[in-house]
Amino acid sequence: MDIIVLTKRVPVTQEEELKIAPDGTSVDLSRVPFRMNDWDNYAVEEAVRLCEKQGGVITGVSIGDMESDEVLRRAIAMGAKDGCLIESQGVVNDPFTRALLLKGFIEKENLSFNMIFGGVQAEDDQFGVTCGILAAMLGLPFASMVIGIDEIQNDAIILRRELEGGIQERIKIKMPCVLSIQSGINEPRYVSIMGIRKASKVERKYFKADKYLDGGAGSLIDVIRWFYPPKKEGAVILQGELEDTCKQLLGILKEKGVLQ
Amino acid sequence: MSYTLIISEVRRGVFEERNLDSLGLAHMLKKPVYMLLPDGQYPVNERWSDVLIKTDIKEELFTAPKNICLLLDKVIERFSMPDVIILTHSSSGTECASYIAGYFKLPVITDVNGMDKDAKTFYKSYYSDKVYGEFAVPGQGPVVITVRSGAFRGSIEERTHASKEETIVGVFLDSDRAFIEFVEEEKTEIDITKAEFLVSVGRGVGNKDELPAYDELTGVLNATLSCSRPVVDKLWLPKARQVGQSGKTVRPKVYLAMGISGAFQHIAGMKDSECIIAVNKDPEAPIFQYAHYGIVGDMNKVRDKLKELLKG
Repeated sequence: MDIIVLTKRVPVTQEEELKIAPDGTSVDLSRVPFRMNDWDNYAVEEAVRLCEKQGGVITGVSIGDMESDEVLRRAIAMGAKDGCLIESQGVVNDPFTRALLLKGFIEKENLSFNMIFGGVQAEDDQFGVTCGILAAMLGLPFASMVIGIDEIQNDAIILRRELEGGIQERIKIKMPCVLSIQSGINEPRYVSIMGIRKASKVERKYFKADKYLDGGAGSLIDVIRWFYPPKKEGAVILQGELEDTCKQLLGILKEKGVLQ
Repeated sequence: MSYTLIISEVRRGVFEERNLDSLGLAHMLKKPVYMLLPDGQYPVNERWSDVLIKTDIKEELFTAPKNICLLLDKVIERFSMPDVIILTHSSSGTECASYIAGYFKLPVITDVNGMDKDAKTFYKSYYSDKVYGEFAVPGQGPVVITVRSGAFRGSIEERTHASKEETIVGVFLDSDRAFIEFVEEEKTEIDITKAEFLVSVGRGVGNKDELPAYDELTGVLNATLSCSRPVVDKLWLPKARQVGQSGKTVRPKVYLAMGISGAFQHIAGMKDSECIIAVNKDPEAPIFQYAHYGIVGDMNKVRDKLKELLKG
């Protein structure tokens, strides 16, 4: 069972204040920490578990600048055999272009695989479509939101997809195939600093992105402006020291009738 | 011919409410609206679209990515390529949108929540909803869109005439992916949808060891403990306690969100609560946009202070 896992280095923005340049053309991420996309973490883990059971080789693939090498090191520390970085100039915002790059890379470098895994979406752009576009371009069957792999057969796999409201669907899909992995499917293993250091000794392979965009298809969509979400009325922020705000909170609970 | 095509989502016999946002956006685009429907007996308002395209494909197969492309081949053959193809931003909607984009080589923009007034560019959220990007489609050719639930339903305008009906049957379906069954979540004793007062914890809780103290807090408050997705993903609380699109939709009298930043998938599951109170250390957290009251601060400190005040 050979698996290609797509990984992306993303900014962790949940608790960061983001500044947009006055002309709206860029978002300042210079002081934001980066890490492997959370969903990809689950995808790598799922691939490693499958290969531990079935045998096989995992190849981590990432698109980005040299900094993205760090997510490949992490994938290797988790159990990938090697890592390939497709070096791009600047950020590739269009998921169509990302998929086109990946298709060109996989085909031209003759990567062999039974399955391609990726995370359901990237934390930064929240697009959630790269795996699906790639699958269609490669002419392979695809399933997204994979929340459980139940059975591996000779040429097919039985899995569960997460739908809404706590419902899942069980499907059977032929291999080779592309799956996007949902968070919560497993508990990703802990990766120690020592583990990362050891992984650094495994040679990664670097490729130039230009080679894989036949005729330079470019982007099908462009970001023309960044802006802050329109503010709604917003919450009344309770003011004061911790004790004051908590007392006010209890007052609200009483007023609403949920506290005696 | 110039038109907008909606690929509707029907789940277990119900025409999903989020289709209304697909319709709202389609109406804003001011072109004839064609809506593609799976087989089945379910009511659809006939004044929402100009043409209903009915098929003989069951809902479980209709929303499989390759099948929808094979069906679209027939739609395009019959009516020409649509200008815009709209789906819901759901599990299957996004799955199909991505495959359609790859199959037909079309640009795709997901989770769209706004559009400029000339209908030339689309807005989507980025970076945990803290920034929006405005996207243009340089070719202005066909584009695939998934719409955020709740974003456009206010723009629906009923037609004066009932929609025309067309039928497409006999599409040769994909055999590489087969539907087996729906799987229900395990039944548990906890039903957070019945609670009047929910204390909900999110990623901000930090680590598992902090959770027992929230159990104690809900005990003294006579509230029920719920959570957001990251807490379930880390296996800190069972799935039955999860609020959000992939969990439960709740409407309690009071929803106290602690350490929840307010990802749209979470908001979708709690926005109709009577009173929302948010505690978060990040004053810019999107949850404060939806909350009625907020405390900017450390959730664990707020928890301990509340317990102290209630016991004292």
